[in-house]
Amino acid sequence: MKPPRDRAIMSPHDFRKTGVKIAYGFMVIGVCLISLSMLYPFVNTFLNSLKSTEEFFAFPPPFFPSRWLWQNYKDSLDYLDIFLYFKNTLYIYAGNALVSLTFMGLAAYSLAHLKVPAKKWISLYFMSTLMIPAASYLIPNFLNLKDLGLLNTFWAFWLPAGANAFYLLILINFFEGIHKEMLESARIDGASEFRCVLSIAVPLSVPIIVTLLLLGFSTVWNDFYWSSLVLKTEKLPIGAAIYTMIIYPGSTINWNVRFAILTMTLVPPAVLFLFFQKYIIGGLSLGAVKG
Amino acid sequence: MAFRSLRRYSWGLLFLIPEIVIFLVFLWIPIVKGIGYSFYKVDFVSGNTFVGLRNFREVLANPDLPTAVKNTLVYMFWALVIGFWIPIAMAVSVSELKRFQGPARIVGYLPSIIPAIVLYGMWQWFYDPVGPINTFLNSVGLPEFDFYSKGHAVFSLIIMETWQNFGSAALIYVAGLASIPKDLYEAAELDGAGVWARIRYVTLPGIKNLVLLLLVLQLIATSQAFQSQMLMFGGGPDNATLTYLLLMTREAFVYFDFGRASALATLMFLFLAAISILTLKLRRGDDPA
Repeated sequence: MKPPRDRAIMSPHDFRKTGVKIAYGFMVIGVCLISLSMLYPFVNTFLNSLKSTEEFFAFPPPFFPSRWLWQNYKDSLDYLDIFLYFKNTLYIYAGNALVSLTFMGLAAYSLAHLKVPAKKWISLYFMSTLMIPAASYLIPNFLNLKDLGLLNTFWAFWLPAGANAFYLLILINFFEGIHKEMLESARIDGASEFRCVLSIAVPLSVPIIVTLLLLGFSTVWNDFYWSSLVLKTEKLPIGAAIYTMIIYPGSTINWNVRFAILTMTLVPPAVLFLFFQKYIIGGLSLGAVKG
Repeated sequence: MAFRSLRRYSWGLLFLIPEIVIFLVFLWIPIVKGIGYSFYKVDFVSGNTFVGLRNFREVLANPDLPTAVKNTLVYMFWALVIGFWIPIAMAVSVSELKRFQGPARIVGYLPSIIPAIVLYGMWQWFYDPVGPINTFLNSVGLPEFDFYSKGHAVFSLIIMETWQNFGSAALIYVAGLASIPKDLYEAAELDGAGVWARIRYVTLPGIKNLVLLLLVLQLIATSQAFQSQMLMFGGGPDNATLTYLLLMTREAFVYFDFGRASALATLMFLFLAAISILTLKLRRGDDPA
């Protein structure tokens, strides 16, 4: 026999009442409808990318293309050299990940496990930036990068990527969970603090590092506005490239070509999501636990 | 003595200093400079000149400012009314499902993986006069709906954003719901509480803190909105989607008046700071813990 299912708000007893049954039925239908509305745009985007222009404006428009026009993908390359922009995006992302994890990791380890003077004040120095709305330093940030001569360089992304109090907080919390005894015994065996970080803290924090890497990826893949201000055309990441060349208000590029580009842009995050679902959904609750 | 304490701290400081420098150069300096810039006329060629409060006076005299403030507040309000309760209802529904809870969660989260730019591309088509929604309305004999008109634009934006974001919020609530002890429902049921009463007196109080947290986060996020307004509507039609931040970015990157833009940023900063101090005070007065 199966063990009785863990109850939720409604118990098996409630389901004997007709009213509850009907309400439950409506609820299930509601969830199904919402799920459909979540999936429809994905399917629609993909199918639209294979339609001909005539089919796009036919009435009523067919749901499926009559012929799968892969040609649209080829045509889209005339508008946007998507591989160049994919490469730029990955380049920015790799630098971001390297800089931010290295420096934030060391700092988090230091705050969690090392002797530091005025630790409370240093933590405050980092964490109080969480309270300042990002919008209020958008403009000076741009001027600051200009003064530093970093405009139109990838350094304008790599270095500021390390200034993220939220990720730092997550790392500190995680490192604090590592037992002091483990580090202590490594030190007695003569390991330097660098060794402790590399051989103990990092291997123990793989899940959190993966989560941060994924969060960082979606930040870079998502960004279009900031990078369109900082970088020139040939260095743009994918989002900004589409923004400046394909989907600006009033764009006249054919819809099927636009959808081909959108579909290609959607593939990398979708694949990552399917493979790393657990980490991504785990990362969500990080945001909530904080409060 | 000083040398010995330096040795004692050497590793800790060595690990911290790069991060302190990064925060200084890329966060604290811009934050402080931003306030400074609002008193200057920023000129890349001939250098900055101090202009006192002129930027503030000009910004406050701009007839677009009241519009932008009003639009931002209207947007925040409707985003709450339309969007805020949906993830809660969805989370409760999904946790009640007898099977397929896993797939429902994954499907609900899917829109969140869409990059912003792809989202706008998709929805520009959905909202198009010949797009799928209007074709559907036509085919069932209803008149076309103009998603881009002045009165509808805000709602078009909010529907799009709710569609994208509610899944991730719902997952946070699902986690919160799972942590409510099941005995409470058992006990409430024995005491004769119906399903609604259980939701009202057990479920909702159980996730109260989470609801408050997400409420604050949503208010912070919506008060700073401008990207979808800019991309979907360009702030129009007739400034109907001109938000405060869009006004600010316009001053900076369309009119290249960084001084006025900084003045707007400073005003917003002061306003938000005042609000957070106020809420802190209220909260302290509220509960003695």
